[in-house]
Amino acid sequence: MAEHKDMNKWRELAIKELKGKPLDTIFWQTPEGITVKPIYTWEDLEGLDFINTLSGMAPYLRGPTATMYTNQPWTIRQYAGFATAKESNEFYRKSLAAGQTGLSVAFDLATHRGYDSDHPRVAGDVGKAGVAIDSVEDMKILFDQIPLDKVSVSMTMNGAVLPILAGYIVAAEEQGVKQEQLSGTIQNDILKEFLTRNTYIYPPRPSMRIVSDVISYCSKHMPKYNTVSISGYHIMEAGANSVIEVAFTLADGKEYIRAALDAGLKIDDFAPRLSFFFGVGMNFFMEIAKLRAARYLWHKIVSEFNPQNPRSTVLRTHVQTSGWSLTEQDPYNNIIRTTIEALAAVLGGTQSLHTNSFDEAISLPTPFSARIARNTQLIIREESQVCHVVDPLGGSYYVEALTGAIIREAQKIMDEIESLGGMARAIETGMPKMLIEESAARRQARIDQGKDIIVGVNKYQIEEEVPVQVLEVPSTVREEQIARLKELKAKRDNEAVKRALEKITEVAEKGGNLLEVTIEAIRLRATVGEVSEAMEKVFGRYVAPQKLITGVYASEYGENGVIENIRQRTEAFKNKTGRRPRILITKMGQDGHDRGMKVVASAYADLGFDVDLSPMFQTPEEAAKMAVENDVHVVGVSSLAAGHKVLVPMLIEELKKMGGEDIIVIVGGIIPPPDYEFLYAHGVKGIYGPGTPITESATQVLKLLEEKYIP
Amino acid sequence: MSIDQISEKQIKEYIDGILSGDRRILAKSITLIESTLKAHQEAARKILDRILPFTGKAVRLGITGLPGAGKSTFIESFGKMLTARGHRVAVLAVDPSSPRTGGSIMADKTRMEKLAVDPNAFIRPSASGGTLGGVARKTRETMLICEAAGFDWIIVETVGVGQSEVTVATMVDFFLVLMIAGAGDELQGIKKGVLELADALAINKADGDNIERAKAARQQYEIAFHLINPPTRIWTPPVLTCSALTMEGLDRILDVILTHRRKMTEHGELERKRKAQNLEWFWSLVREGLELWFFQDEEVKKNLMSLIKDIEEGTVSPTSAAEHILSRLRHISS
Repeated sequence: MAEHKDMNKWRELAIKELKGKPLDTIFWQTPEGITVKPIYTWEDLEGLDFINTLSGMAPYLRGPTATMYTNQPWTIRQYAGFATAKESNEFYRKSLAAGQTGLSVAFDLATHRGYDSDHPRVAGDVGKAGVAIDSVEDMKILFDQIPLDKVSVSMTMNGAVLPILAGYIVAAEEQGVKQEQLSGTIQNDILKEFLTRNTYIYPPRPSMRIVSDVISYCSKHMPKYNTVSISGYHIMEAGANSVIEVAFTLADGKEYIRAALDAGLKIDDFAPRLSFFFGVGMNFFMEIAKLRAARYLWHKIVSEFNPQNPRSTVLRTHVQTSGWSLTEQDPYNNIIRTTIEALAAVLGGTQSLHTNSFDEAISLPTPFSARIARNTQLIIREESQVCHVVDPLGGSYYVEALTGAIIREAQKIMDEIESLGGMARAIETGMPKMLIEESAARRQARIDQGKDIIVGVNKYQIEEEVPVQVLEVPSTVREEQIARLKELKAKRDNEAVKRALEKITEVAEKGGNLLEVTIEAIRLRATVGEVSEAMEKVFGRYVAPQKLITGVYASEYGENGVIENIRQRTEAFKNKTGRRPRILITKMGQDGHDRGMKVVASAYADLGFDVDLSPMFQTPEEAAKMAVENDVHVVGVSSLAAGHKVLVPMLIEELKKMGGEDIIVIVGGIIPPPDYEFLYAHGVKGIYGPGTPITESATQVLKLLEEKYIP
Repeated sequence: MSIDQISEKQIKEYIDGILSGDRRILAKSITLIESTLKAHQEAARKILDRILPFTGKAVRLGITGLPGAGKSTFIESFGKMLTARGHRVAVLAVDPSSPRTGGSIMADKTRMEKLAVDPNAFIRPSASGGTLGGVARKTRETMLICEAAGFDWIIVETVGVGQSEVTVATMVDFFLVLMIAGAGDELQGIKKGVLELADALAINKADGDNIERAKAARQQYEIAFHLINPPTRIWTPPVLTCSALTMEGLDRILDVILTHRRKMTEHGELERKRKAQNLEWFWSLVREGLELWFFQDEEVKKNLMSLIKDIEEGTVSPTSAAEHILSRLRHISS
């Protein structure tokens, strides 16, 4: 490649300024493995085929529409769901009045996993991390006085997509709004659930059928509705770097196209209604380049299927700022992080945006933190004057070169996935999950070692605690929901419901459109749990096998004594007590976020612990049985969805019942500081919030064990 | 568990706990067996001696197969079928992977999720590492303790690569090899020696659009299998198909195992087999003990290196070198 004519001179100057340090000390190796140079020039654009293209035209890299924000700014779409439909509804109406332009509903974990609130497996999950919905009656309260023909609604739902989408349709119907008037998005992206978040219900194959049933129903009846929101956000949050995020997300999209084509649809029937959802983190220019690269690659992918409608190849996306980048320590810093990320999303050309609340690393947002988050977007839109030009960074040597690099690297991974037979097959081999986990373990090791700096966490820490107001979910939510379910079942025509549910089972087994029969059952007041169970009879309930890598954490951390020191201590423990310290790492309830648990499991093994990994979605009793049978020293509970206050005391109780009162219980994840005392009082011996270096928690656990077993 | 000697009183508590089926004490007894401390191993030996009269009643089933054959899913489904019929099932795994710097990750139960929470099942994943001999000893002893605790089915799982299948085959009554159809050529790299030990071969994953392929594979395998493992007076090792996913064919496998058991018992073969296994176990312990004793001996340690050097340089013949070091050993022991 040609070089700028004065580049040699520049190098001389640079070396002089570096005062003898070699030039490569100012080259930066990104987590994606891309080498970023200290300066870019016109020559770096050589060979890039997208330079100087226009927005609204192929390859759409500069934006899906011609005028972008100069004509219409992005939709401010804040994701929220409070414990009950009533509270959420009040919050939505206030937000709409305060300038928000679309709704985004967060459901609780019981709903995600297709359980009614009265199911014994969801004792700790009802109303946590979102709104509890059991039937269309709850849906009607959720959208009370919100005109569904005007306000677009996005619903984050994947597992229980059929009863929830049906509930939304029937709630609108009873408002007098027809299906063809409905606009908005259902996430319906089941593939990434198998990769990261685990809120699936059925095995991959029947799950893919549900996706294509939704696509095919909506393409006929709901032309303004986005049928899949193909999500990279969760892949990034699980620890993937930007290249992996783009590659996996687009490969997922390609798989949905194939599924819909297999179901007999034509590409132009549904491709324009496929939308995307990316995460944007702190790596500012990388994130801007990522969104541009994704649009280019999607255009290329869809074009292979010979669409006639140019809109079929356009990538439209929602963006959420990264929840992972938020810290529990010095939490007001999160406002600044979110601002930077939101600006990157805007400069990258998103169609809608959610900005996180600063307290999300501690608990669910309060009305105050939610307001600040919303205002972050309003200030960018109204005050920063960045909306007057389309793709303002187009032509930046650096951003264009970076865009090119992401395109190139992501293409390589996508080619590999193709060679495995597409994403569904690739998931079966375990390859994508391993790549994500490797990337996550490396990132954790870099942070724990201080190679990646996070202000307030591994540098510039503050001594004093910053008090933050925390939203508490009242423990009566579940009882209220159970009472409402009882009432519903007493009032409805149970015979008709039974027949409708049998019809769903039959269609699941013999074929037909599942959404169509689900709408019928929901109209008759069948519940989310009943509909899910009707299909479970045929499809079964899926639990993914856990595969884990080892050695990555230790190798990224490198040699500096810390790891060696812990290893010596675990070895010494073994020599004195006859075995290595043994820890069970478990997740209870319906919280499927398993990144933390896996990174910790893999790192602890590297540090010399014997690690037992439990299946996902355990009840406290099941976790206790496993701890007792495997005779572990410690149970480590990973909790990210506010179930800890119910589930952890239950676990300790169960351990006692089974004769395992000598087993130490520790908790890691998102635990609001006011809950610490509560947990300690119930017998928890250690609590490790986000940002705790693994080496530190391991050291503390070892100390507990040494005190107990080596007198 | 303290690191001190374990008292007679504690040992009695262990024994009473095991015999009354106390899960917690069963788990802790296995920890004693697995411990690297002499005091723990000694206590475990005492416990074993005294529970021995209460062992031997279970069906001991060994299962092997290459990675991907669906062993865990098979054990999950087969185990659930057994518990549904009122049996109590213990699952043990032999996994002698090479020792590494860190600890192990044991995710077995994530692949046997339903069986793991079944009150009539006990699954104990053991940390890997250590010699095959060591792992085999622990598994054998754990098996006995589980029997004494009232488990009437013991399933021992092993990865189908390397020596460990042979070890497992010599500790069970029935040895089942799992395979899948269409994963490559005839017998998929399973060693001939392993097939010779098999009491039955099952082609798993015979479900969905794979059924026809599984049936075809069955016919192919049958010929090859019977060449390697010809029928005896009592038993003709069958080739079966099954699906751990749909439960199809699992009851047939159970039938086969029970028929095998009945025939073996009728002919006195089961007793003979177990006696032979016990002797085999005894001899392997003696061999291992001798080897360990040999290498730990100070005289041996002192002389071994120079002797090896002499052999390499050709100044001493291997025969006289061996004679030399063994004669020293004889000298020490007398």
